[in-house]
Amino acid sequence: MGFGLPWALAGLLAVAIPILAHLLRRQKLPQQTLPTIAFLHRIHATRAARLRFVDMLLLVVRVAIVAALALAASAPYRVVQSSLLDRQHALAIVFDDSLSMSAMEDGETLIERAAALSKEQLRKLPEGSEVSVVLAGRPPRVWVRRRTELDMVNGAFDEIDTRSTRAGALCDAVGIAVELLLESELPERRLLVFSDFTSGAGASECDWPTRGIRLAFETVATSNPDNRRIASVEVVGGRDGPEGLTLEVRVAGPPTEANQSIRLRRKGQETQRAPVRWSANQGDATLTIEPGTQDAVVELRLYPDDLLPTDNVRGVLLGSNTVHVLLVDGDPHPDPRKRETAFLSHALSVAPRIGRSFAVETLDAQDLSESAIIRSDVVVLANAQLDEKWLPLIQHFVGGGGSLWITAGDRINPRVYGSVLRELLPGRYTATRKEERPVSLRSRALPELDQAEVTARTPISETSLDAIVTARFDDGTPAMVEHRYRNGRVAMFATTIDDAWTDLPYQPVFVPFVLDALERLAGRTQDVVEPYGSVSLPGSTSSQRIQVVTPTGKTLDLAEADRVAFRDTGEIGAYRVLVNGVDGERFAFVVDAPAAESDLESQGTPAEHSELEDLEAPGRGTEQPLMPWLFLAAVALLFAELWLRQIRRR
Amino acid sequence: MTHALEPELAVRLAGLTLRAKRTVDGLLAGMHRSPHRGASAIFKEHRAYRPGDDPRLIDWRAYARSDRYTIKHFEHETQLRGTLALDISPSMHWGSGDVSKVDYAATLLAALAYVLTRQGDAVSLVTFDEAIRDRLPARSGPAHLDYLMRMLAQPSPSSGATSLHSSLDKLIEHAGRMGLVVIASDLLDLSDGALDPIARIQARGHETVVLHVMDQAELELPYEQPMRFEGVEGEPHVEVDPQGIRRRYRAAIDAFLESCQRRVVAAGARYMLARTDRPPEHILLQLLRDG
Repeated sequence: MGFGLPWALAGLLAVAIPILAHLLRRQKLPQQTLPTIAFLHRIHATRAARLRFVDMLLLVVRVAIVAALALAASAPYRVVQSSLLDRQHALAIVFDDSLSMSAMEDGETLIERAAALSKEQLRKLPEGSEVSVVLAGRPPRVWVRRRTELDMVNGAFDEIDTRSTRAGALCDAVGIAVELLLESELPERRLLVFSDFTSGAGASECDWPTRGIRLAFETVATSNPDNRRIASVEVVGGRDGPEGLTLEVRVAGPPTEANQSIRLRRKGQETQRAPVRWSANQGDATLTIEPGTQDAVVELRLYPDDLLPTDNVRGVLLGSNTVHVLLVDGDPHPDPRKRETAFLSHALSVAPRIGRSFAVETLDAQDLSESAIIRSDVVVLANAQLDEKWLPLIQHFVGGGGSLWITAGDRINPRVYGSVLRELLPGRYTATRKEERPVSLRSRALPELDQAEVTARTPISETSLDAIVTARFDDGTPAMVEHRYRNGRVAMFATTIDDAWTDLPYQPVFVPFVLDALERLAGRTQDVVEPYGSVSLPGSTSSQRIQVVTPTGKTLDLAEADRVAFRDTGEIGAYRVLVNGVDGERFAFVVDAPAAESDLESQGTPAEHSELEDLEAPGRGTEQPLMPWLFLAAVALLFAELWLRQIRRR
Repeated sequence: MTHALEPELAVRLAGLTLRAKRTVDGLLAGMHRSPHRGASAIFKEHRAYRPGDDPRLIDWRAYARSDRYTIKHFEHETQLRGTLALDISPSMHWGSGDVSKVDYAATLLAALAYVLTRQGDAVSLVTFDEAIRDRLPARSGPAHLDYLMRMLAQPSPSSGATSLHSSLDKLIEHAGRMGLVVIASDLLDLSDGALDPIARIQARGHETVVLHVMDQAELELPYEQPMRFEGVEGEPHVEVDPQGIRRRYRAAIDAFLESCQRRVVAAGARYMLARTDRPPEHILLQLLRDG
């Protein structure tokens, strides 16, 4: 027995009220003289004993009424120690299908073992019980929603992927399961959690139900938690360098005397292996890739496999030293040397070849093509009057990780840019104006920029909240503004990139200004992808054929709807993206195993629920509220009190 | 109360006369018939003269006609001796309203005294509780009436319980013979034989009237809340809920009243219940009309 509001028990002191009233009433009865008192004595003598008894009963009943009300106010409940098998009930099973549950032991994964245990418990359920199953890998999923057909639920356990690569989302799954239980009309509610309770499950952080739901845990953990994984890979050198690339691989986990090696796979073929050298709890291996490789991504695998083979695989993006820049000239000058694109091309051609190199492609606006955009890292729209037909493609291009740089000029129509590209842009172009006297530029990163003079500009206003102003005019207004749009970046320049409105192209600072801008814009912003996470890919509304080659070699043709967000990322390792059958170097990506899932050491169930319970065991019991019964008793006692008062008056 | 008889009541009762049913021995001539023959305006009978008869009573006209000595008898109208007995026990000093039972009884007796005195009758007063407390011999006349009124207005204080038996026994001696005895009491002496002396009073030739004075609260127990009831003559207290026992109490009181009436009537006396919540003239009118 317990109390929901134990402080309300102080109300029990109120039982003194009827007792005091009884005593005071006896003392303070109004007095009345009566000459005929002898008759009262005669009558009273026959009633006195009965009255004393009735008075005592009245006192007891009144005390009981006050006590019942005080107890009811304290929300008491009774813990019913009954077996789950006694009656129909709502059962929610939180089934951990995270990566750590894919650990192999005795020829089966922990998921398979948990599924078998779950089925065993299901067989013991009384007919009519309601079962929900929530899978606790990320994202948590309702696998079975409140079904009473136990055969169907049994079959659902066979559908669970026994080789999961998911991160843990136990707490979210518990929250969903509790909601499902609360939806049920069955009074008995139980939550059963099957998990290995490793650190990746994070069970100690969960908001476990404390009242109204009987909670039970089943720890399904491996008896030998030794597990190793590829913890990190550092790519050293340049692919165009004389020594090529060096992959320094670090392996985490307990040392082993077995000979272990790291194997390099390129496009599905093993090409190299290197032994793992152990020191303390860390292993190292080094592999090399020859200069000039065209591979965007390779895969490393730790051999031989251990309990959890999935985290022995790691994809490595080799990256590219070449930034593909597409220069789109919106106002081709008759003199090729005077074109905006000419100034940019020149600047990039004289840029020092340290780090990245730039592959420049120049197009007039009317020659713009989808393929040209797709194969680029950065598209520069120089004084280009944009045709609206390109807008969806540009939006997909930037959303998928490409970058866009728009420079001003007399062909820019602020209204068009402000309407059709508003969502994409970090600000809004306003009407072009000629300066009465030249203004200069300011930049903290490039102080020499103040040597340039600007005679006309298309001011940028209404900059977005996340916009970064990298250069300003000397009157403080933005000259160069950037922001991030989904996986890509967009920059706006308020004046021309040629010499029409500024002498910037003739200034020495022009080359570092252009390099600085393109370096920022060319930086890939694709995050590390976790299993089943979404990946933005370049999309096409028309002719492009996009295929994804998974780490296991499956080639997936993407439907149009999948081209922006690719979600079939359940495999760990390197994914290659083919555009029209050709490797799109820029779009390769890797899916890493969730690091927390590699620790197979069970942390045990949460401290406050440390007892493991079987469904059949009486265990913690169910709390049955007693308040309604106490109110009922109070009402019954009230009637008894009225009846006794009537008895007393007879 | 400064005067036992309210002037208004005295005026209303001024035209009434009390005629005793029975002849009484009286020292003074009055309206009441006397069993003794003598000078009077009302002829009764003739009889033969016997030695010893008063020669003044010989009817000389009858002697002239019949040559025999004939005595002419006239009925005497004699003075009534009224004895008023007032119970002054503590229970009589109680009243649920403004008027106590003893005040009410004193009013009744004062009215009777006033009427009797107006008729020229002699009135005596006796107050009693467990014994006779005060006596006022029978007299007539305004001065005596005034003295009697004062006694009624301020009866001697009493602390003794009612003892009807002994008090009424003493009253017999005080009342003499063949008069009117009016007893005003609540009769709250529940001992056996408490009313037996009434029969003996009747046997002495008195016309006895018992005014049973009761308060309305005594009759009906009108209280609503549980109370601690105290006696007025030393009885132990009792805590009761009047609502719970009212029905039984009234039944007991009714039985008591009936018992008193039965015993008084059985003794040959008249019984009248005098509720203090009724106007006293009603009681008097009933008493005088029926008398």
